[in-house]
Amino acid sequence: MKILTTLLIGLTFCIPISRAHAQDGTMRSNQFRVKTGNINFGSGAPTSTNYNLGTTVGQLAANEFSSSGYVVKAGFQYVHSIIPFTFSISDTSIDLGALTPQTASTATTDLGVSFGGAGQYQVTAVEVGPMSTQSGSETIPDTTCNGGAQTCSESSADVWDSTTAYGFGYNMSGDGVPADFTDSTYYRPFPDSTAAENPQVVMSSTNVTKSQTATVTFKANISNIQPAGSYSTVIKFVATPSY
Amino acid sequence: MNKQHVRTCIISIVIFLFFSSHASAQQLTLSITPPLVEAVIKPAKSVLIAYTVSNLGDPLIISPHVRPFTAQGLRGDIVVRDEFEGPIRFNLENSNIKLTDEFFLQSNEGQQLLLKIRVPEGTPEGDYYYTFYVQNALGKKIEGRDAAQSLALVGSNILITVTESGNVDVGGSIGEIRIRPRQELSLFGKTYNIFESTDIIPVELILQNTGRHLVKPHGDIILEGSLGEQAKFSVLEQNILSQSSRIVSATPSAVLNSLSQDKIKPASLYLSGFFVGKYSLTANIDFGLGTESHEATVTFYAFPFKLMIAGLVALVFGVIIVKKFRQDELS
Repeated sequence: MKILTTLLIGLTFCIPISRAHAQDGTMRSNQFRVKTGNINFGSGAPTSTNYNLGTTVGQLAANEFSSSGYVVKAGFQYVHSIIPFTFSISDTSIDLGALTPQTASTATTDLGVSFGGAGQYQVTAVEVGPMSTQSGSETIPDTTCNGGAQTCSESSADVWDSTTAYGFGYNMSGDGVPADFTDSTYYRPFPDSTAAENPQVVMSSTNVTKSQTATVTFKANISNIQPAGSYSTVIKFVATPSY
Repeated sequence: MNKQHVRTCIISIVIFLFFSSHASAQQLTLSITPPLVEAVIKPAKSVLIAYTVSNLGDPLIISPHVRPFTAQGLRGDIVVRDEFEGPIRFNLENSNIKLTDEFFLQSNEGQQLLLKIRVPEGTPEGDYYYTFYVQNALGKKIEGRDAAQSLALVGSNILITVTESGNVDVGGSIGEIRIRPRQELSLFGKTYNIFESTDIIPVELILQNTGRHLVKPHGDIILEGSLGEQAKFSVLEQNILSQSSRIVSATPSAVLNSLSQDKIKPASLYLSGFFVGKYSLTANIDFGLGTESHEATVTFYAFPFKLMIAGLVALVFGVIIVKKFRQDELS
């Protein structure tokens, strides 16, 4: 009797579960009904010591489409992309506080990329003008790091730890960052788009990447003669998968 | 009256705790799919691509744009131009959103964007490269603070080949096959690449596209040792844009995760194992059907320096110990 009761209870729970799984691809709401919903069954990323394999079954749009006059290659398995290309910034407002002369202010934000696509991606950075007051009359120059033998540029980081070296710059740490950011004392100035400088790659990968994270540390240090005011700029991060 | 005060206080505290902190930090996570579109189109034809943009972060306002890009460097990097140029025409077929229009996207919400690509009549044959991207609207400036605001552009590349006949002009060559040696030895005007037997050997294969259209070269890199050992590595079919060069990857060793995580320069291939003697690496590449195969070779030498030093040290210690025993015996 007990067994029969247990079986009945079990069956009662199983019926709705199995029904839910047996539904077709139709998507419904009060506003719409889509009869051709796409179902992925059997996707995954099995791994071993020597390989990473991405599989997906059932994607309707993964193919090469052709018609009279054009051929289009799109769809995720076609370009081996199970995960959409995703870019994140942990905080879009980088608050350096109220700057004090000869005391470096820093603030950090995390950049994240997840991508299981054809393999490569890049994140570039460029500033839309140097840090300046609202009127634009006063600016904080881009850093040259400590100067002398320790002079950095837009494409090459160097040590910036002197309290008498002024400017605005950034350090990178984490996955896929340029190799010249040796440690947390190495900085670069941002390239300036208003001075026709090309954006610099701050994060990239040449291999298939599921998820990568890097931290950008922004740093500003001003001199005693820096005019008072509220300084700001815009940093443009461009994240793209490779071709 | 007291109860009302308590209730007001509790509500104020809850509002302060749960809502005030969210206002200061804006977390942005945007995704776009498909990440790459390649299209071969005749002039006077158009094609519609459905993109899906998803907001996985805080609610935000975004706008879609298209800009041309150019290849930069050898590692597949690109520079997205600030200004639109080129003969290809783009527009969104969505009824409520146009290109450059801002629209609101709630957290965990997606938006399909239907991008129409039109190649006008008379467009010269060739390749045209663009990036379709969405960007966030800038937030409010933090008053009275020194601050920077982040503008995020998340894009997907579009490679368009315009051809009237359907035939594409394919041309390419091997720019260079090179290795980054630990030591270089120059003797009689010739340079020798020297490695320790256990070193991981980075190989770079640079391919050039000299044609008017992008190519996907394929072929192998073959490693041959002086003792007859052989290994073959397939070159991955990666796009090389018109009139540009690229370091291509070979599989399987180019995906050594341990190496990619470090700040080691990316290479086509990483060779690992125990090497002794002279080795040659030969790249056999073709750039498309009906094109001739290209070949280039580089050699390197590997010697077990660590083993030799260990042997020498062991020998010295052995001699010392033997001498010491003999002295002990004599005394």
